[in-house]
Amino acid sequence: MTPITRRRLIASAGAGAAGIGLGGATGFLVGQETAEAKSDGTGSVAFYGEHQAGIDTPAQDRLHFAAFDLVSEDHAELQEMLREWSRAAAEMTTGDMVGSANNVQPAPPDDTGETVGLLPSRLTVTIGFGPSLFAHRRLGLRGKRPAALREIPPLPADELNAEESDGDICVQACSDDPQVAFHAVRNLARIGRGTVVMRWSQLGFGRTSTTSRSQDTPRNLMGFKDGTANIRAEDTEAMRRFVWVGDEGPAWMRGGSYLVTRRIRMLLEIWDRSPLEDQELTIGRDKYEGAPLGGAKESDPLDLEAEKGGEPTIPVDAHVRLASASANDGERILRRGYSFTDGVDESLGELEAGLFFICFQRDPQRQFVPIQRRLGSNDALNEYIKHVGSAVFAVPPGARQGGYVGETLLGTSG
Amino acid sequence: MNRSLVHAALTAAAFGLLALFATACGSSNDAPAGAKKMSFELTDAGCVPNETKAPAGPITFEVENAGTSKVTELEVMDGETILGEVENLSEGFNGSFSLTLEQGEYTLYCPGGEDEKGTLTVSGKLDTENSPQVEDSISQYRDYLEKNATELVAATEPFVAAVEAGDVEKAKSLYAPARIPYERIEPVAESFGDLDPRIDARENDVPAKEWSGFHVIEKALWEEGTAAGMTPVAKQLLADVEELQEKVKTVELQAVQIANGANELLGEVSASKITGEEERYSHTDLVDFEANVEGSDAAFEAVQPLVEEKDPELVKEIEADFEDVYASLEPYRKGDGFVLYTELSKADTRKLAQKIDALAEQLSQTPALIVTE
Repeated sequence: MTPITRRRLIASAGAGAAGIGLGGATGFLVGQETAEAKSDGTGSVAFYGEHQAGIDTPAQDRLHFAAFDLVSEDHAELQEMLREWSRAAAEMTTGDMVGSANNVQPAPPDDTGETVGLLPSRLTVTIGFGPSLFAHRRLGLRGKRPAALREIPPLPADELNAEESDGDICVQACSDDPQVAFHAVRNLARIGRGTVVMRWSQLGFGRTSTTSRSQDTPRNLMGFKDGTANIRAEDTEAMRRFVWVGDEGPAWMRGGSYLVTRRIRMLLEIWDRSPLEDQELTIGRDKYEGAPLGGAKESDPLDLEAEKGGEPTIPVDAHVRLASASANDGERILRRGYSFTDGVDESLGELEAGLFFICFQRDPQRQFVPIQRRLGSNDALNEYIKHVGSAVFAVPPGARQGGYVGETLLGTSG
Repeated sequence: MNRSLVHAALTAAAFGLLALFATACGSSNDAPAGAKKMSFELTDAGCVPNETKAPAGPITFEVENAGTSKVTELEVMDGETILGEVENLSEGFNGSFSLTLEQGEYTLYCPGGEDEKGTLTVSGKLDTENSPQVEDSISQYRDYLEKNATELVAATEPFVAAVEAGDVEKAKSLYAPARIPYERIEPVAESFGDLDPRIDARENDVPAKEWSGFHVIEKALWEEGTAAGMTPVAKQLLADVEELQEKVKTVELQAVQIANGANELLGEVSASKITGEEERYSHTDLVDFEANVEGSDAAFEAVQPLVEEKDPELVKEIEADFEDVYASLEPYRKGDGFVLYTELSKADTRKLAQKIDALAEQLSQTPALIVTE
């Protein structure tokens, strides 16, 4: 039996679809996005590049996010793990199996195997560093923590649970196939064993944001279109201004971004019992079309001045109003969240479900924090949601081939 | 954390294993002593030579690109399986890999050449004798096995006597210590058909009528607070551990099995000790935990020189990881044993489980290195 790689299967299936990186290394050279947003599985997204993939990549359908804590405060060991993570991530994104020893009878295979026969499914693996990583004294990174990377301060309406918050290192794996995303996290966790332990992880089953003009706006679990006014990757000016770290430093973060996650539990039972009118006033949009109240189409701009019977058409506490750029000194963020469900709430017997909010930005202190502070204090939606998890990570720039993600921080020498 | 090191050694070497006997010798990145050297060139035509012969045994393939841009790789294949290869040899570059091959026809594959495929015919018999070093490993582990089987009988005798005498408190105090030697050598016991379930089955592992061994008595002592009716079970248990003691004297051992046994013992810890499922009535799981780790450690120590030869760095890491696991158990030590499983918090068990995982991930790399000895 020929060692099966996912890539070989694709080749033999004759899937000549737009730009699959079939030729091994050649796949890395044709730009980050080698397939259009078609989510038929054949598309692959290059791991190597100026920015890490999974930020400006059109949002895939599925997520597996994991936060890890360091157990070994050894600089060289961390370097080695990240080098192996990058190598493995590059293999997985092209549809290859991890490692090379997968057909050795007396050895456990390098790759865990559950994606053999599956397509690359636009897998992206995005790696980030939490503020707590820099606090490990023996790592010698204390002076390198960017000013923008600080714990998210307590915010109004927080009900945070420490076990599903924070972390030294994060991995965001996104794919159009849930098993491909799971496989990525599982294999990186395995490679990291002894260096890191998993602190928490989150599966997301449906994207709730649109990050490309080629995508339709999906609905969140409240039944509303979400992310209509999101930054689109094609809008390079907005990406440069709001998402990518520039000259403000530190140098190791240039071309990177900051990732904030919020695990937002939705009280769906209560929401489902509220009248349609209340739901629409809470969000500030029409439920089915997605148009802002007072507008006709989803793409219509918010008219925050409009009034109806002496009252603002879009209420002062409507979610869209408080989240809009004009309410936030022009600040915007790139949202990239996913719906989740994790069985039954132990104490209430209700669906444990909601939004695993993810956003990328140039400076969380200037962008996410004030936006959420405003939302947490005033948003009508707060009646139906609780923020139960929170984390922030510095996502360094992408790696060049032969390098690794984190090299700008940890250096090249062993 | 040196999976990459292990794998570097494996890529060229261990792909060859499928064609080998487990006891065969000599396939490694470094040319094994006495390996036959065969030289190949990559040309536009493909592999040169592409029809050749070799005697069974270790062979080092030395491959040089003699000036072609079309062919950069040579693979040795058994049917569709790649046994070994050198890749990315540009013009003027050379590389090598070693395989131990048994009798048969293998394909020489130089993709991109005018004639991509050739044949390597291997004839003769492989020398499958164990090296003295392998024999040393086996005999060291056999000593450990026999010593623990003897201790098992010695520790089970007073336990059984207390059960027969109906002395519940005494039987309870002797229960966990009697199980220690068993938990150290459990994978070997498992190789003797139904002997392991007879001695160590948990309730519902076997049909109720056939349930026997330690855990039946554990349930009676802790759940019901009596040894009544346990005499036949106790007598059978003693007979079973005595049978085990006899059987280990003649059991056939291979170095790779010993290394696998070291892994299996850690699997035992992860699957049933750290979850509190093994000793569900007495809650003495941490006693078993330590015994499994000691057994794993002893098995690893026996094969350690064989691993050392291939990957000294891995040996260092495994030894450090064992130390780490022992250290993580220390806070729970109490009297001659450990605190009860029920006294552990989720955070405690999670930490212990993660230490075991870290060790087991490294240890699981050792059998393959031993096979390629």
